[in-house]
Amino acid sequence: MAAEGNAPKIFPSSHKTVVILDHSPFMAEACGQTVDFDILPKQSRAAPGIIPLAPLAKSLWTCTVEAASEYARVVYDVYPPRSRDKLLKFVITDTEARSLNSWLEEEQSLSNVLQGLAVVGPPSDSDDAENCSVMHGLAMAVESLCEGSEKQLEHKASLSDPEEPVVNKGRVVCITTVKSQGHIQMLEECMQEAIVQHNKIAEAADKLPITHCELVLIHTVPVGADNNIQDQPNKEVSSLLSCEVHSVHSGRHIAAKLALLVQKHFHLTSTTITGIPMKEEQNASTSANYDVEILHSKDAHIEILKMGSTSQGYDSSGFACSKDSFGRETVILKWCTPKTNIVELQYCTGAYRITPADVNSRPSSCLTNFLLNGRAVMLEQPRKSGSKVISHMLASHGGEIFLHCLGTGRSPLEDPPSISEGSGGRVTDYRITDYGDFMKENRLMPYPAPQDGQILPEKEAIAVLERTTRYWPLVISDTIIFNMASHTDPLPTLITKAALTEDEVVECQKAIYHLVGMESRSEPLPIPAMGTRGKGPKRDEQYRQMWAELDTLLRAHASTSINHQKVLECLQEIRRPAEEAKESSRKAGKKEEVVVKEERVMTEQSTAELAWQEIQRYKAMSERERSDFERGNTNNDHFRHRQQTEVSSPPIKKLKTSLEDSQGKQQGGPPSLLAIWTSRINSKYNSRHCEFAGRLTAEGNKAELYVNLQKDGTNGTSDKPSGVKQEKRGP
Amino acid sequence: MPTVILLDLSLSMTRPVVSGDNDFQRKHLAIQGVSTLLDYLAAHNRLEFTALVAFSSLWELVVPFTRDYKELKEGLNRMDDYDKTCIETGLAGVSQIVMDEWGVGLPCQVVLVTDGSPGVGKGSLKESLERFYSSQHHHDDLSTDGDEFPLPFPFPSKLHLVCLANPPEVQGVLGQLQRLVDMNGGAGGVYLPEGELSMATCQSLFSKLAETQFPSVSWTLKCGHMSSEVQAVPVVETFKKTYDFGPLVREPSLQMEILGFLDSKDIASPAVISRHLVLPKPTKTEKEASEGESGASGEGDGDTAEHDGKAPSFCVLLHGSLKVESMVALVQLGESWYGFLYSWADSKKKSNLMLSVLEPGEDAVSWLGKISQLGPVASSPHNPYGEDDTTSPYPVRHADKRSYAQNTTVWIKPSGLQTDVQKILRNARKLPDKQQTFYKELNRLRKAALSFGFLDLLEGMSAMLERECTLLPGTAHPDAALQLTHAAKELRLAINKDYDDNIAPLQTHFSKSDND
Repeated sequence: MAAEGNAPKIFPSSHKTVVILDHSPFMAEACGQTVDFDILPKQSRAAPGIIPLAPLAKSLWTCTVEAASEYARVVYDVYPPRSRDKLLKFVITDTEARSLNSWLEEEQSLSNVLQGLAVVGPPSDSDDAENCSVMHGLAMAVESLCEGSEKQLEHKASLSDPEEPVVNKGRVVCITTVKSQGHIQMLEECMQEAIVQHNKIAEAADKLPITHCELVLIHTVPVGADNNIQDQPNKEVSSLLSCEVHSVHSGRHIAAKLALLVQKHFHLTSTTITGIPMKEEQNASTSANYDVEILHSKDAHIEILKMGSTSQGYDSSGFACSKDSFGRETVILKWCTPKTNIVELQYCTGAYRITPADVNSRPSSCLTNFLLNGRAVMLEQPRKSGSKVISHMLASHGGEIFLHCLGTGRSPLEDPPSISEGSGGRVTDYRITDYGDFMKENRLMPYPAPQDGQILPEKEAIAVLERTTRYWPLVISDTIIFNMASHTDPLPTLITKAALTEDEVVECQKAIYHLVGMESRSEPLPIPAMGTRGKGPKRDEQYRQMWAELDTLLRAHASTSINHQKVLECLQEIRRPAEEAKESSRKAGKKEEVVVKEERVMTEQSTAELAWQEIQRYKAMSERERSDFERGNTNNDHFRHRQQTEVSSPPIKKLKTSLEDSQGKQQGGPPSLLAIWTSRINSKYNSRHCEFAGRLTAEGNKAELYVNLQKDGTNGTSDKPSGVKQEKRGP
Repeated sequence: MPTVILLDLSLSMTRPVVSGDNDFQRKHLAIQGVSTLLDYLAAHNRLEFTALVAFSSLWELVVPFTRDYKELKEGLNRMDDYDKTCIETGLAGVSQIVMDEWGVGLPCQVVLVTDGSPGVGKGSLKESLERFYSSQHHHDDLSTDGDEFPLPFPFPSKLHLVCLANPPEVQGVLGQLQRLVDMNGGAGGVYLPEGELSMATCQSLFSKLAETQFPSVSWTLKCGHMSSEVQAVPVVETFKKTYDFGPLVREPSLQMEILGFLDSKDIASPAVISRHLVLPKPTKTEKEASEGESGASGEGDGDTAEHDGKAPSFCVLLHGSLKVESMVALVQLGESWYGFLYSWADSKKKSNLMLSVLEPGEDAVSWLGKISQLGPVASSPHNPYGEDDTTSPYPVRHADKRSYAQNTTVWIKPSGLQTDVQKILRNARKLPDKQQTFYKELNRLRKAALSFGFLDLLEGMSAMLERECTLLPGTAHPDAALQLTHAAKELRLAINKDYDDNIAPLQTHFSKSDND
């Protein structure tokens, strides 16, 4: 339970701290220590006659302000004001009380406090000492504690019961010089009374009554002066107030005291990093080892603290706390020479902000600059015996230095089965590279907070992933179109976008026409060798698969926008000529029908009109024209039927005549280069190809084969299909 | 989550279950029950570690943490009978075993199997509890003597107390047992057989314990329309923590939804609350595929093949690409609760998909900014990663700087002041070349002196600059003397001037010509 005693509690007193600085004339007295500020360097070129300037004496005020600023520096470094967790308020008291800042986040900074102190200036001997009292400050401190912080007000707003009181605790650190023990008594009573009075007012006004306040009274006298005030441990004055007294000499002593108190008040502890090699300024070839003390949340050593008290495995003197002359304990960790860059993810159980105990000493600034430049360093626990245990890492992120706690215990994840032994692990043709590219395209970046009505960036990220994965085959052998990026680009990328411009639609259409061109040239498709046994499917079959896959891709995205729909239509125009629109009623696949209907609704009328014109023209054709027209589209017709009935015989070569038709009609303008080219190719093919006579004369483009044979009627019907196949392989 | 099975082997465990029936002891029930539990674990949580500890007035580690359930079962059969029950000793043993093996960071389950006889005299449950309470009352935070009560365990834990007794026999003890659970933070519970003590009720008790406390939870790993059924090992626990403004409890949603990806170096080892192996579950559900058809996704997700290992799994693809690209996938695990997936290798050969769970909250990783404000690169007019992938939007820098990242003035130690003074003098001697730095440092000293109410220093510094002026060598630039005199004068005047009223360099015709 001992360790728990220091653990942070709910509604801690450290949330709000008022620091009261006594600004009465007494504080203008010298602190009793002098500082040599004029150091003449030994190798100085200065004339020997120079006498250094006399040392300066700091006043009690200066020592107090320095110590209090250091207190604030540590708090603001370890608990950055933007987290709004630990707030400080400075109050100056003489004949009246003045506060230097408020609880608001923007006023929580050391520079703000220092500026305020500069405005106040040092106390002057000539001030009216009679009317100066620290009681003004205490009263203002109580008043300030009654003011809710931003977090407290948020918390109050979140309470379901508006009458429920907000637990409002705080701490008052008051640096002053008391006259006697009785004076302390009087200040306690004054404080108690102030709390009671303000709580009454607070209940009426829209303020927060104080639940509990901790008064830390620091009595300071010049170094060497008589001090008849004793330290008093924390005692409860009432249920609202506890009080403790620290009696210190000024100068370095008060700074040391406040450095100790800041650790106690803010759940901090100290770590000394030993053995940091640093180059000497004068002699760059040698390096000496330095120690740097840092302060950070006690939680960073939770492991050491817990293990130290209960386990034999740790050598208790190894990490033991060395105590300095001011009674500060520190945990020793050893510097491990860093690797050039630590990219690998460390298993890190905690990361806590640090601040150097002595921020502008040379070793401290060397260490912090080293870290701020992006390097990380491992820290090792010194052990008398046994193996090296690296328990912490120091690294900076975005200008803040963190002490990372690394997992040191045995991992329960050791020796796991490899992912290749599990489900899906034996598949070898995952599209690893493609998914890698996908991941890079879907990296995240920080956005400013969304304005009202704007979608949260995180939701947008999910929406993008939804769109881009609608059709995403996992393995190479499951896809053709993604294996021929050079041919399909930029269609697969463009189609996943949320919106397509007209130009992008044209780009997509071009890609489709390019594929059409490939098919008409009978170019081989990059079908992966794996996954297909034997010779693999025929080229025509490959194209059929490719078109089907492209159809799936475009269909998946057709609903995104009208322009996406246009791309799908482009494909459909090519794959299913207008003639079929007429026959859409007899389409087999229900799903397709639905899609077609949707298309109708969604697309502009032009498409429907186009189709209608087609039908009209078809009707107006003469018999001969009509048969020619049909012949032109025969192949598609066949293709469609095959697709529906899952028969997988290859389509007939002349596929692309229809393209020429539809393209010419669709665009209405002069034929495109592609159209001209395809028509040339077609005529070339036509010259080599002679249509089967039987088909030319047959009805519905189907030639009845071996008619005579059937007339004989005895040979059974089973021959017929094979006959058909033979015919198709024909010329 | 490792499990410690703590088995009571005191003499009372040898009592027959049914009076008069000598060949059927409570110990046998316990062994049989634990065996049931082990069978369940072997089937559902094969990768978890379990240890077997026996205790009476002493404790003994019978089988150290292992995944070898056969060994554990053999251990069960080696159990002897010992003297009296001393639960405190047993718990202390568990504490030590876990700390030695795993440290204090890893959550563990402790299953204590006893017959509910609390022991007598020193070390009995009653005496332990009394001692614990009296120590609490006497010295609140100074109880660091050797006899510290083992509860609460120093590591996060669930304590399950299985009491193999007929309920009426142990009415008095149940309260004490429950108090042990409460002392440990309340996770876990006291378990009694339903109905009369018998092999059957005991078996069902252990089965129930296994199913409720050692569940095999299935997650859906999802990236848009791509998905995989996966198992997280160990189980992702409900998050509970008390913050300054109240406790927070978060239940895992059982869906890991990928929000996007980050480079490993950008996420930079953040603090995590736990790590879990993400293992693809064998896909046997054709349902999924048929459901998939209604959507536009086609065959992208839900693979139907039943032969495991051969059917492609998104999880495996994701792992492969994360590994090759050194990237992580940021996933959402619940409301404002995130984690990240990456490839992790225990040895060089075997790598796995790992989930690191972040502490719930938008600010879990300070250098990423608020996580909900991370959006797709695609939506930005410019790509922060640059054309050639050499830049990065991380770490997110915050406007406020820490003291060590700016030139903070601290003069508590004389050396701090001396260094600052020397710096000014060094620059003074190199005027007018170092004019900018000279005035910057001078103003820093001026501001600090004003803040600290250390006005004598301004006077002293001024005198020093005047002296420097007299020491200038004949070869010095004429501007140097002018600037030093100017600075010395201004420094004296600064005492009565505004904090932000910086001393500006003297505009001389030398400096003007420099500027031209």
